[in-house]
Amino acid sequence: MIRIAAVGDVHLGEDAHGRLRPALERLPQHADVLLLAGDLTRHGTEEEARVVAAEFRDLGVPVLAVLGNHDYHCDEVSALTQILTDAGIQVLEGDGVVLPVGGLRLGVAGVKGFGGGFAGKCGSNFGEPEMKAFVGHTIEIADKLRSALDSLSCDTRVALMHYAPVPQTLHGEPPEIYPFLGAYQLGEAVDATGTDLALHGHAHMGSERGVTPGGVRVRNVAQPVIRSAFTVYGLEAGTGED
Amino acid sequence: MPGPDDTEAPQYRAARLRRALAEDTRTAELGVQVTVRGEHVYLSGSVPSRQRKEELDHVLHEKEPGTRVHNDVRVVEAGEPGEPEVIE
Repeated sequence: MIRIAAVGDVHLGEDAHGRLRPALERLPQHADVLLLAGDLTRHGTEEEARVVAAEFRDLGVPVLAVLGNHDYHCDEVSALTQILTDAGIQVLEGDGVVLPVGGLRLGVAGVKGFGGGFAGKCGSNFGEPEMKAFVGHTIEIADKLRSALDSLSCDTRVALMHYAPVPQTLHGEPPEIYPFLGAYQLGEAVDATGTDLALHGHAHMGSERGVTPGGVRVRNVAQPVIRSAFTVYGLEAGTGED
Repeated sequence: MPGPDDTEAPQYRAARLRRALAEDTRTAELGVQVTVRGEHVYLSGSVPSRQRKEELDHVLHEKEPGTRVHNDVRVVEAGEPGEPEVIE
C-alpha cells in the first residue's frame, strides 16, 4: 500500500515559522510522500516562500507541490518555484514525476487548475475577450493536466491540483461561488487517464470526500477541511496501467 | 473606501466588508464570510492562526470604527492526523 500525505491552503505568512513543523517531524512514520495542494503562502512573496521552504524541507519523504491562487498574487511565481525547488520541494505545473514506493511506481501529475464551473453551470469560451481568456485558461490547464497524467508510466496515478475537479467536495461553500472554485474540465482530465486519486484544496468550507463522474475518488485536503497539519490516504495498488 | 451610512443596504455593506478582508494585504482572507445584522457584523470561516484572526478585527475597525464585530472565525488545527483513510 502506498501512503500519501497531503495538505493544501496552509497560507504561511512571514510570521509562520514552525507552525506545522512539529506535526511534520514524524511524517515518515505516517507516509511515503507528501503532496502540497497549493496556497502555500498568503501573498506569494519570496519571503513567505522561504518560510514554506523551511517548513517542508528535509522531512525524510519526497515533497511535491502545486501552487495556488494566493501564490500567484505578487507575480513572483518563478522566484517562488526556485526557492521551493532549492529546498528539495518539486513544484509541478503541467508535468509529473514517478516515485518508487515499496516496489511500486507512484505517478503524480499536477497543475494549479482554475475556475469556470461545473457541467451545465459553467462559463463558455465565448463573448468578451476577458471571458474567453478566463475559460481559455481553464481549458489550457486541463489539457496540460491530461497530458501530464497520460505521460506517467506507473502503477498508481494521482492528480494534484489546487482548484476542484468536482462540485461534491465544495459542499459547504456558497453554491454561487462554485465557478470560482473549480472546473469540470479538470475532472474530465482525471477520468480520461486511469487516475486513481485526485487531490485538491482551495475550498476552505468545502467537504473532504467526493468522486468524479468516472468513479475516481476526489479529496479536498484544504487544511481547514482536514483540520490537521496533513492527512494520509492509503492507496492499494492502482489500476493505472502504463 | 466609505464607511457605513444609513442609506447603504446591509447586503452591499456585507459585500464591501468582505472585499476589504480579501483585498487588504494585512488580511488577504478570501474565505471569511461577513453577515450584517443592523449595527452588528458577524464573521465566520477559518484562518491559519490567532494573529490572523485578530487582524480581521483590526482591519474592520479601521474601516468602520463604530461597528460591533463578532469574530466567530475558527483557527485551523495544525496537529498530527488520526488514522489514514484506505482507498481500495
